[in-house]
Amino acid sequence: MRKCRPVAKAAKWSHRGATMMTVLLSGTAWAHDPIFGLGPHVLYKGGVEVHLEAERDKAGSDREDAAAAEFTYGLTGDWAAGIELPYARVQEDSSSARGRGDIGLFTKYRFWRQDTLGAQESAAVLLKVKTDTGNDNATPALGTGTTDTILGLTYGYESIKWYRWASLRYRRNGENEAGLHRGDKILFDLVGGWRPTPPSYYEPDTVWLLELNGEYGRRAELNGMELANTGGTEWFLSPGIFWTKRNFAVKAGVQIPIASDLDGNQEETDYRAKLTLEWHL
Amino acid sequence: MKRYLIVPLLLLWSLATLAAGTQYVMRVDGLACPYCAYGIEKKLKQIDGVEKIDVDLEKGLVTVNVREGVEFTEAQMKQLFKDAGFTFRSMEKKTL
Repeated sequence: MRKCRPVAKAAKWSHRGATMMTVLLSGTAWAHDPIFGLGPHVLYKGGVEVHLEAERDKAGSDREDAAAAEFTYGLTGDWAAGIELPYARVQEDSSSARGRGDIGLFTKYRFWRQDTLGAQESAAVLLKVKTDTGNDNATPALGTGTTDTILGLTYGYESIKWYRWASLRYRRNGENEAGLHRGDKILFDLVGGWRPTPPSYYEPDTVWLLELNGEYGRRAELNGMELANTGGTEWFLSPGIFWTKRNFAVKAGVQIPIASDLDGNQEETDYRAKLTLEWHL
Repeated sequence: MKRYLIVPLLLLWSLATLAAGTQYVMRVDGLACPYCAYGIEKKLKQIDGVEKIDVDLEKGLVTVNVREGVEFTEAQMKQLFKDAGFTFRSMEKKTL
């Protein structure tokens, strides 16, 4: 494990903390989508999805636990929008803080859908804006101090037995008041899913997932100067499970790092874990 | 004695006649998971007179029992399934 703090312990925003917040807030889970990746699922027209999520990111001596409540509304059968309200607990070395994180607003539009008997193939675009609303007075800060934008493109095939998804997300990060501009990120996901037993509508249903998640981050800049110990690439293999009964779902998964090429000296991710509970109302 | 039996039997028969409804069996494409299909149930339950719903994912069938007098049209079902995120193909109707 390489360990060295980045140069930019800029004011109350450490780069690592900001990076972790970036990771935790990149996802927006939807219905029968992958756990860490992005899928094309939306919500039926007039439907409400309540989504509670707990996530842990561990990297060396840094640890972040985040919880979020998401509320999504189905505008049409192919278009949904919602809000994410996070609560974070960040620990960096000996200091820790907890409180309100940055609120996210998101929308997803499924622009293509091909339905056949027992299968659905579709593609969608996602737009998410992470606002600068977290508690930045805490040390370490609980928000990134920036407004960030995430644009995603996803394809998915679901059948009674097999699932497959692919997605690409680009995250454009803003610059905070300390002059720190976290590097933009590209996230790439390939996911496979398998349902061991045929589903029955009123019975519990289980799908096993295996995700390959890649993350590439550009170097951060502080007042226009590139920071050496920032940016790079990480790859994860992520087993997960999706269990549902009627309108209730439980999703859980672990991201295990399999390859890492981080620039300079940085903490490598040890693991990330996520648990979500979800209701369709 | 027979008279006493005939009256309740006639009453039962008349109640059964009154309760006779309609069953609609719809062919729907895109049904791949029960959780995703919940939106169909939710939409159908908003229709007054819907009594029972079943979804057969493997056969792509949505079966709905409705009270007598409740009528579904193909146009109505096409829109309902579109709003639920699926594709309506056809519908069969039979009296229960």
